[in-house]
Amino acid sequence: MHELSLARDLLAAIERKLDRSDGRVARVSVSVGSAAGIVSESLRFAFRVICEGTRLDGAELSITTVAARSRCADCGIVFHFDGLIGQCPGCGRLGGELLSGDEMILRTIEVADV
Amino acid sequence: MCDTCGCGAPAVRTIDVNERLLALNTAEAEHNRAHLAKRKIFAINLMGTPGAGKTALLEATIALWRESRRILVIEGDQATNRDSARIRAAGATACQVETGLGCHLDAHQIHDALHHFDLGDGDLLFIENVGNLVCPALFDLGERLRVVVTSPTEGADKPLKYPPMFRAAHVVVLNKCDLIAHVPFNLGEWTEYVRAINPHARIIQTSALSGEGVGELLAEIDNVRQSFFPGISA
Repeated sequence: MHELSLARDLLAAIERKLDRSDGRVARVSVSVGSAAGIVSESLRFAFRVICEGTRLDGAELSITTVAARSRCADCGIVFHFDGLIGQCPGCGRLGGELLSGDEMILRTIEVADV
Repeated sequence: MCDTCGCGAPAVRTIDVNERLLALNTAEAEHNRAHLAKRKIFAINLMGTPGAGKTALLEATIALWRESRRILVIEGDQATNRDSARIRAAGATACQVETGLGCHLDAHQIHDALHHFDLGDGDLLFIENVGNLVCPALFDLGERLRVVVTSPTEGADKPLKYPPMFRAAHVVVLNKCDLIAHVPFNLGEWTEYVRAINPHARIIQTSALSGEGVGELLAEIDNVRQSFFPGISA
């Protein structure tokens, strides 16, 4: 279940960015390409579990899904799509060369300053 | 906190990060890659379905290459050291990583495994990943070549069902090709689906048991190895 590995990695990445003096984390924002295959609810669940007992306990995980982009292998047009595999709106061919959309990026950390 | 205007609520400070997840694994993978490059060691990440024939392909490879090349194998399985025992019996050096609940190998495990070997310049390192068409696709190990192994018994639609794995492949191997005529498997459809997900992957049919196509796979591995380490002898 790679959402658990991702949640662990996310927590480690956040902790690397925080100072010891930083307090409670209120919210973490990530953006995930739709072709990455991440199930948002699973990631939120895994993150909640991983953060228990840490200064991220109770932090909101905000996940923005970004549409992916492919270039059709037949007609060459570049198109956006949601989900794991696109279909060319021009010629109908499935798939194509994935140009972007499998990235997973930690965007911001919101720390509550008491 | 005041319900009217929100006064008394703790101030929130935003830290901008914009860093890819798995950055730690990627950094370790780059470290592995650089470490191997210094010794001109070519690493192959062998992934695929459980039972597709990854270990059998390695045995066939070792049989053909053990006199001419020094082969090291890192074996990844949830449990047992059965595969590393097979590799040693075939005549190559193996290190077994038992991942327990882990469904994929990661760069840190490879880094540790490398310390078990007496590395030599120009060695060939095969990393046989945990059999799994999902998670290994996400984890860079420091390899130069990714080979994904499947077989006709899985049906023709697996490339559509597991896009990240097939997208990640440099080479897609259809092993047990001798079974194509005996199971409901449409080779044309399968090929089309691989091409839909990955227009650039090299597709090779093999039978690890009979040896068919193994030479073609090894030639491809050699070609790519030469492209990274020009002039390297066998």
